[in-house]
Amino acid sequence: MAVSDEALLAGVAAGDTDATAAFVRRYQRRVYGLALSVVGDPGLAEDVAQDAFVRAWRHSGSYDPRRGRASTWLLTITRNAAIDVLRMRRDLPTEPAALVDVLVARVDQADRVADRERVRAALAALPRDNAVALVLSVYFGLTAREVSDRQGIPLGTAKSRIRSGLRQLRRMLEVTND
Amino acid sequence: MTEPYDCAQVADLLAEVATGAATGPDRDRVATHLVYCDPCSHELDELSRAADELLLTAPEHEPPAHFESTVLERIATSEGAPARRPRRGSLLLAAAAAVVVAALSSGAVWWATASERELAASYSETLDVADGRYFAAAPLIGADDSQVGHVFLYDGSPSWLFVVLDPAPGPGPYEIVVTIDGADQGAGRCVVTGTGCAAGGTVAGAIGDVDSVRLIGRDGGQMRADLDS
Repeated sequence: MAVSDEALLAGVAAGDTDATAAFVRRYQRRVYGLALSVVGDPGLAEDVAQDAFVRAWRHSGSYDPRRGRASTWLLTITRNAAIDVLRMRRDLPTEPAALVDVLVARVDQADRVADRERVRAALAALPRDNAVALVLSVYFGLTAREVSDRQGIPLGTAKSRIRSGLRQLRRMLEVTND
Repeated sequence: MTEPYDCAQVADLLAEVATGAATGPDRDRVATHLVYCDPCSHELDELSRAADELLLTAPEHEPPAHFESTVLERIATSEGAPARRPRRGSLLLAAAAAVVVAALSSGAVWWATASERELAASYSETLDVADGRYFAAAPLIGADDSQVGHVFLYDGSPSWLFVVLDPAPGPGPYEIVVTIDGADQGAGRCVVTGTGCAAGGTVAGAIGDVDSVRLIGRDGGQMRADLDS
């Protein structure tokens, strides 16, 4: 039986090198994949992914499973590390609409992970404009004003798309969680 | 000082705070409101959870072959890094304080996660500005004796402190209490809306006389930074 993510993370916090290696091995594809999606450059993505694991290790003792799953906790750390890098660049390395296509694309059955499939289906069901605005905000850390400037849409429209998209996503995830 | 927002005004900002993209001033406005509003706090928790889950859709990619060993090596050579940092006068943390303040004033969002490389790069400039004498810093220690953030203090007119809590033990407001020569004084509130929070306030008294800075949660739980040598 596989060790749970939370148990692995507890081992990481306790300084267990085997648990730390297992944790890195379990998540390296996801962490590197997210970093690459945000920064768009393999070399930078590797730096970001490594930095994310070191940050996670540093803060593993304070991880609280009541506040969320280990996977989303780790990916949030990764996203933050990637945005740190992204803010030094002038433009986004990835076309947001193209990224949305990648995010909602079905993957091979063998590569399917239940939690990702559930969120992928919810994102795919969002109105396209809302999905793009939401991805710009969540993946690239853009404010509504920045989304407005980038998309050439009024600020109110950008705010509305982010807000509506997130609320719709939440409702759909609530349904699939029931 | 920003004017308090009501629920309708905050509702417009909650989504951006949940996605992590909100500007510093907007985040402050929401945080101030959440101290008194449980419904909006609950709404933000749910929106944040949905926003975080969206990251699960990122496609997987195989990293370079040496990735795992490099990460483990970096962790191994960082052994002891999460332990307590020097209690007073840490120059790197002093630089961090300057970066934090500068970033906040420019509305940057991700200051709390700026890399140490960036902090080091700002180090000499900070010393030039502050003449290397005016900052103090100390690690913020949680109930389980792990470091959960930093406290930065500036001795000037007025003197002030800045608290960075990340990761926080849980969401909600944390009262900042400064103890000087055995007497407590409030220095504001740090409100956790995501994984952490940051807040600052003025301090009545000399920074050299500060004994400790505590963050006290609604449940009475405390985190503490000791500055007495």
